[in-house]
Amino acid sequence: MADHDRRQPGGGFNSRKRRYRDDDDYDRRPQRRRYDAPLPVRIRKQLLGLAESPVRRWHEEVQSIAHVVADNYDDQELRTSFLDLVPQMVIEQPLKTPFVAAVVLVINSLKPDMLDELLVRVTSATEEKVKVGEWRDVKLYLKFLACLQSCLDGDGLFPFLDELFNRAGDLQTASSDDTIGTELVKIILLTIPYIMSAAPVEQWQQKAAELMDKTDVIASEPHALQVLIDPYHATEGTESPTANMSLIGLLQKQLQNEASNGWELSCLPRPWQMPLEEIEQQEKLDNAQKHTLPSISIPEKVIAGPRPLFPEVYFSVYVTQEIESVPPVSSIASSIIRDALLDTINILDFNRNVTARFLIDVDCYFAPGTFIKRATPFDRLRDIEGGRSTWKPEDVAVDAVFSQLFQLPIPEHKLVYYHSVLTEACKIAPAAIAPSLGRAIRYSYQNTYRLDLELCYRFLDWFTHHLSNFGFMWKWTEWVEDVNLPDMHPCKAFIVGALDKEIRLSFAQRIKGTLPELYQVLIGPEKEQDTPEFKYNDEHTPFSAEGKELATLLKRKAPDEEIQPIIDRIHSAALDQAIDPLVTSTDVFMTAVCWVGSKSLSHVLACIERTKDRLLDAGAASEAARAQIITAVMSYWSAHPGVAISIVEKLLNYSIVTPLSVIDWALVSDRAGPHGQALSKAWVFELVFNTVVKVTGRLRQVVSGGMGEGAEDEVAAMRDLFKGMEDALISWAQGTKDQMMDPVVVDGDEDLVKRWGERWLRVFRRRSAIEEAFLLENKPAS
Amino acid sequence: MRTELRSTVDRLDRPSAYYQSRNKRKRGDHGRDNRDGDSEMANAQPEEPPEDPLRNATTLYVGNLSFYTTEEQVYELFSKCGEIKRLVMGLDRFRKTPCGFCFVEYYTHQDALDCMKYIGGTKLDERIIRTDLDPGFEEGRQYGRGKSGGQVRDEYRDDFDEGRGGLGRAIEHERMRDVEKNREKDQHTEEDYGRLR
Repeated sequence: MADHDRRQPGGGFNSRKRRYRDDDDYDRRPQRRRYDAPLPVRIRKQLLGLAESPVRRWHEEVQSIAHVVADNYDDQELRTSFLDLVPQMVIEQPLKTPFVAAVVLVINSLKPDMLDELLVRVTSATEEKVKVGEWRDVKLYLKFLACLQSCLDGDGLFPFLDELFNRAGDLQTASSDDTIGTELVKIILLTIPYIMSAAPVEQWQQKAAELMDKTDVIASEPHALQVLIDPYHATEGTESPTANMSLIGLLQKQLQNEASNGWELSCLPRPWQMPLEEIEQQEKLDNAQKHTLPSISIPEKVIAGPRPLFPEVYFSVYVTQEIESVPPVSSIASSIIRDALLDTINILDFNRNVTARFLIDVDCYFAPGTFIKRATPFDRLRDIEGGRSTWKPEDVAVDAVFSQLFQLPIPEHKLVYYHSVLTEACKIAPAAIAPSLGRAIRYSYQNTYRLDLELCYRFLDWFTHHLSNFGFMWKWTEWVEDVNLPDMHPCKAFIVGALDKEIRLSFAQRIKGTLPELYQVLIGPEKEQDTPEFKYNDEHTPFSAEGKELATLLKRKAPDEEIQPIIDRIHSAALDQAIDPLVTSTDVFMTAVCWVGSKSLSHVLACIERTKDRLLDAGAASEAARAQIITAVMSYWSAHPGVAISIVEKLLNYSIVTPLSVIDWALVSDRAGPHGQALSKAWVFELVFNTVVKVTGRLRQVVSGGMGEGAEDEVAAMRDLFKGMEDALISWAQGTKDQMMDPVVVDGDEDLVKRWGERWLRVFRRRSAIEEAFLLENKPAS
Repeated sequence: MRTELRSTVDRLDRPSAYYQSRNKRKRGDHGRDNRDGDSEMANAQPEEPPEDPLRNATTLYVGNLSFYTTEEQVYELFSKCGEIKRLVMGLDRFRKTPCGFCFVEYYTHQDALDCMKYIGGTKLDERIIRTDLDPGFEEGRQYGRGKSGGQVRDEYRDDFDEGRGGLGRAIEHERMRDVEKNREKDQHTEEDYGRLR
């Protein structure tokens, strides 16, 4: 019937199917050899595209692939390619695992031999991953095997899960800081629902209950490290919104919930269940041959693998809404969907377009009715009746990416990867994604005051980068009242920081054009000036003549002998005025370098390169001179802190300034802003954070390179740095800083300053703890 | 690090067809090459040279920049993938002004790959930029190789691109000549018949 319709002439060319058929019949372009692609290629293509269609004819897709594979089982090439591809799919496209499993189950009902071969492959691959500590891959293989539970002999996957638990138990008993055991429990708890969706028989309910009885002890106990990686830094006397959101703790409760509801697991797809008209196939499936699962051995000593493990916290930007647009934490759906999405996101970092596509299509991979129709406006959720789902697929997707942006201590990939995923998702489905992002932004903004400070900075960085990809459009009017807040208020600090970042990616005039009237004051005329004034051009500036002379010499790349006389002049004049000669000459010289190099970073870097010996000498001579180098750069570029930060970074590379001098400059002296105001400035955080990352990064390189020569010194230097920060920050946090005791300034800002101090302290204490842990793990075996 | 199996999803951190084709032509001893100008010719088969010069590449060619995009803007964006070791702005061979491309050098190969994956194809200064792995900057490569000093692609572009100097220069030149000619003709006309109007 349908065929007949399709063959009506003049029916237009909008139907893909039609064209495909026509081409098949007449094959006008035989040179392309598209339709006689070899079987393995065709099957590969079909398997890779499994479940992608929103039409959801799962059983047809599954059977079609399964039948071809089973019918051509003697085709050695096809068999090999299929047996290679299945485990790879499971590892690379985890959202499709249940569908791949369904294909395998149907094949098993037709050609049971195949499964033995596949099980050997998958279990030995699992064993390999266990050995090297690639726990995510282990989890993904287990998820696949769990979906095959119905065709496994005996207790199927349960004995292995039991064994995993025994290991977890031992590890946890040995140390409360252990994170491998926590990871193993997470894997067990995330595997159970897939077993129960595949084989909901009573026998397994019993086994699951027994296993969950055991995991309860570990899962319900808050992990010692959880406070360290909580995304929120609650204000005094309040509790962090995620204090009770340990991932495995939630999982444990959610599974217990499911158990008492007869393992409904309503979000999971069950593509192995055939519709009524396929009763014959269903019978074959039900009576298919069972296979023994080859044993998977676990080595004596399990290891954490290439990525350090931390306990995980469930983070959501949508939990506080009056209507549920994402699964609540009481539902197992929240954990299962999040888990599958996170794996997808983190595995496919090499193709953000595909990742974004998966995020947009998330509803394709879960049971029908799990989500509301795509792009349903949030306001419309109110009208949904009769217990139907109000979960927006876009919100669930965005939430997953945000949980990575806000992941402590660090997510798996560079943060910019997660930026790019959101950008692509927004490009694919702007109407659906943009409003969801808007709500995520609002939530984050409203919570900046209690978000961990490092995460605030990440949010700022993402927000501005994201806007730069979409014409810098944002509804600034909704925050307009915050413009009048004091600069140290977290919201105001965010706005000021965001505008600076936007300008860096664009230019002041452009950004001004995107802002409502009331924001205009935040972008002063100095920001629109590409090249800052050279203060020595003003006759009234002390040492104006010397400054100009130095600039002229630097411009014509004069040799150092010509520079020295002028420096000497400054020195003697300074001595006469009883001011520090070196500091004075350093200010003039470094400012002149900045001015001469103001055309571009290349110019200033070349100028620094030419004068580095002089700068090195000055920097080495005294603490004050080092600080002055930084001050000169920072004041010259005060309207464009991004440029200043880049220059300081290079000065650090040349060892002209030291990391500790940067920290001192930013946190101890008042130079980055008086009375603790420095702490509220995003660019100060960026400067300090980058400096710390540079130091720890170098140390890690040295340590990973085998603790060679000088490693001890590096370790000591790093500890000094953290110690210096601790000392500087704790006095801010406790309000004992001299600048805060000054009666002139205390006007209610004191609490704000203290809070900023606490927030800084938390960030760098965590960094320090993580580096110490790294050193401990990588201690030479001697 | 990479599996020997072909991934089920394409990778974004592979060199473009440009590089492959360029290599091929080099072996065939064809002369000049200019990336953006010749990318349409990039239909060559990926033929792996024995020692892949991009295996440890830390440099990226960045294309489709606006002429007005500054080094600072490039730094701000590209630093998101790692510290930049060196940045070389592409310049017009004659005017010595930016002509819409640059070379970004990182300290590590991984940073360069990440940049391909996360920054290539996104916007800088509101333009979609293109990144490609590059065997490394050499003196001279910072200049455009088009006839008039810019990149080849900006010679014959027939779309008006404000960020890249408007129309393609050759086309612009041609049109100017036409206008010039017409004006001359008009002038003749005017001289001959102007008073009659």
